[in-house]
Amino acid sequence: MADLGRAALAVTLLLSVYALVVGSYAAFSNRRRLATSARNALLCAFGSTLLAAGILASALYRHDFSFVYVAQHTNRTLSRAYSLSAFWGGQEGSLLLWLLVLTGYGALAVLVNRRLLRDLIAWVVPVIAGIATFFAVVLVAVASPFGTQTTPVDGVGLTPSLQNPYMVAHPPMLYLGYVGLSIPFAFAAGALLSGNTDERWIVATRRWTLAAWMFLGLGQLIGSHWAYVEVGWGGYYAWDPVENAALMPWLAATAFLHSVMIQERKGMLKVWNMVLVALAFELSIFGTFLTRSGIVQSIHSFSQSSIGGWFLGFVVLSSLFAVGLILWRLPLLKARTKLESALSREATFLYNNLLLVALCLTILWGVLFPIVTQLFRGETRTIGRPYYDFFLRGFGLPLLLLMGIGPLIAWRRTSWRALLRVLAWPIGVALVAGIALVAAGAGSSKPGLIAYTFSAFVLATIAVELIRGTRVTGSLFVLISRNRRRYGGYVVHAAVVLAAIGIAGSSAFGHTVERRLALGQSMKIDGYTLTNRGVRVTPKANVVETRAILAVTGRWNGTVESGSNQYLNPPEPSQEVGIKTDWWRAQDLYVIADDLNVNTQVIYTKVLVKPLVNLLWIGGVVFLFGSLIALWPDAREQRRLVTRLAPARA
Amino acid sequence: MPTRSPARLIIALSVAAVLAVFLVYTALAGGSTPQLTPSQLAGHTGKVSAVGAVVGPLLGDSHSAAGLRFGLKNITGKSAVVPVVYHGDKPPPLFAVGRHVVVSGSYANGKVTGTDILTKCPSKYQASKPTA
Amino acid sequence: MNVTVLVLGILLAAGVVVVVALPFLREPQVSDDRLDAPTADEERRLTLREERDRALAALRELEFDHRTGKITDEDYRRDLGPLRRAAAGALKRIDDAELPPEE
Repeated sequence: MADLGRAALAVTLLLSVYALVVGSYAAFSNRRRLATSARNALLCAFGSTLLAAGILASALYRHDFSFVYVAQHTNRTLSRAYSLSAFWGGQEGSLLLWLLVLTGYGALAVLVNRRLLRDLIAWVVPVIAGIATFFAVVLVAVASPFGTQTTPVDGVGLTPSLQNPYMVAHPPMLYLGYVGLSIPFAFAAGALLSGNTDERWIVATRRWTLAAWMFLGLGQLIGSHWAYVEVGWGGYYAWDPVENAALMPWLAATAFLHSVMIQERKGMLKVWNMVLVALAFELSIFGTFLTRSGIVQSIHSFSQSSIGGWFLGFVVLSSLFAVGLILWRLPLLKARTKLESALSREATFLYNNLLLVALCLTILWGVLFPIVTQLFRGETRTIGRPYYDFFLRGFGLPLLLLMGIGPLIAWRRTSWRALLRVLAWPIGVALVAGIALVAAGAGSSKPGLIAYTFSAFVLATIAVELIRGTRVTGSLFVLISRNRRRYGGYVVHAAVVLAAIGIAGSSAFGHTVERRLALGQSMKIDGYTLTNRGVRVTPKANVVETRAILAVTGRWNGTVESGSNQYLNPPEPSQEVGIKTDWWRAQDLYVIADDLNVNTQVIYTKVLVKPLVNLLWIGGVVFLFGSLIALWPDAREQRRLVTRLAPARA
Repeated sequence: MPTRSPARLIIALSVAAVLAVFLVYTALAGGSTPQLTPSQLAGHTGKVSAVGAVVGPLLGDSHSAAGLRFGLKNITGKSAVVPVVYHGDKPPPLFAVGRHVVVSGSYANGKVTGTDILTKCPSKYQASKPTA
Repeated sequence: MNVTVLVLGILLAAGVVVVVALPFLREPQVSDDRLDAPTADEERRLTLREERDRALAALRELEFDHRTGKITDEDYRRDLGPLRRAAAGALKRIDDAELPPEE
């Protein structure tokens, strides 16, 4: 079976090369049947990749340890579900997943659009095929999932901290996002190659970009949530290079989602949009390069691996391709209209873009800093958390403010007087909120207070928009369904605000106390009293659980347990924190008990109170909801697109 | 309709503003920390990040005054073992002899005094030896 | 290697070759093998229709923004004229081109 898997990947490689070479030739020389043949090759490439994926999945499910990959990531005691999730638990399998999603998306995108924009699609096929060729080469020649060996008695198994529903969902969700960004990139390249540089490629890929961006955002939130409950240091984001690797393309994609609205309306920012979509795509590949190469120190990365070189080469090559293409077609990318005023919705979108890209580039600089210093100073230097926190505030807080101003400011131009009139209510609400917050003690952290006040402002503007709009249309449902992109966007803004409040609350207004507690001893934090009631050891089938039992009194009465697990197969430990969510007070009581002495019953415990942290996860749900509204298909718009862009000839 | 688009001016001013923020930060903030392997530590003083493999025995407790004591050697190639004294949160359960870690703190008198340990997840993306 | 696997492999490979060659098998001889790119005429019609839609959308949005209070009466009166003229112009150009009505 492994032979068939290898053969299937080889076929994918051949088909991708065919689609790339023949597709380019067909598009260049305007040959319809040849272009269709190249497209069919891309569709078949999905088929053969699916076959390869099926073979690997089947081997994982059956625990076929003759497959080296299966032996390395599963063992006999691992459940079927987690055995399947091991598909993306390692280098080779995750690359295969990437290729599967890429060929799948590619096949779907060209099929759905096959009657529209035919000359553009003729170029989209070779671009997607080019990306697929790279991954296929790596899978066939460098990192094959189908290596075999004499069957061992048992496999190594999956790291216990990965045996968790969040960790099962996290990589596929991220890949649906990362790989999804290849599609708008391919259409943009197709637009440039075919000379069709108007907005049609944007309109055709609008939902693809939105979906990819949604998956990337959700994937990151799932990862953060896992870090919060499983890794257990009390935080959810460490500015680790691999975490940043997902954040950067997401920020670029966010900027892109906003600026395309300007191009659709005003025919402006054509070059900027091309640059942004290429940046988002390159960052997604660069991100996976960072994760796999071991070139920067990270909790996720490992010793230097040769695969890094391949990815770096691909990033350099594809970047040169993108830059060259944009420069060549620069004359075709002239704006149709100009920006009329610095005080307009267009200008607000421009400011939003500048801030998002600035934040993205600052993070990129922080990630690259060790590499740059090594190259130029011969010494590796790293940049720490304070750098990232500073710029998150410096760029994030103005972005928060813009989220409130943007929706209420008029297109083309407005005056300060008109703007202040429309913003009167939200400003009033923000001021009242600010005063109330200071009275409640939130003045202890200035950035936190500013974040809260701005959040109140944005929520008020969204409410104003919805109320005024409903007054005109008569029904909220009608209002939203008439302009799903806009109102879905407002719901997403509300989600971002919730997340901002959650982040501000848990980082700026939290408290931490650590103590060594003998049996019966207590500690106090924020109105809670925790008492050490002893250490309990519970042996189970595959694990020995050690827990410190803490009785909590005061603001809440109950018990929290925290400690560690020692697994038997594979023999690995994991930290288990105790989290009590106090919904009434909107905060988490987070208990980390390390250093448990079973004999003396003495424990060392660190307790954190994290206000409003759950708004981050609630914001995630709202984010999903808002994205789905924006994604919801509009039958009328679709019909118009089809009749418009499909030529009269069948 | 104005004859000159203010777009260029806006962009120029915004870029200038961003750069100003950046310069202010780098001027005020401490800046970066050197990341060194144990063999590169000699001669440095002050803030460092040491990357290496943990050498046993692991003695003491990170919460006590004497701290958690262990050794650090180069991940690849030979090197002397540098002593480390670590105070702070107990390192995650992944921390063990042989694991690759990054210890942040300071270096003086041939010893690393650590305040933070990053333990790297054992290779997900690299072949480990399958059981025979 | 398993015989079934080998046979399966060969069948799949044959299938792939057929699918890739399909356009040529379906139409061995064809008078016009060019990509269906829009002709200059079609391109012009497309551009005119898109222009009209943009102008009408801008008008609708102006109305809506005015009714929801985002735009003052003054700004509304100032912008209404030019947008109406733009829309009218786009409609006229479509009429002049004597385009068939959209299905």
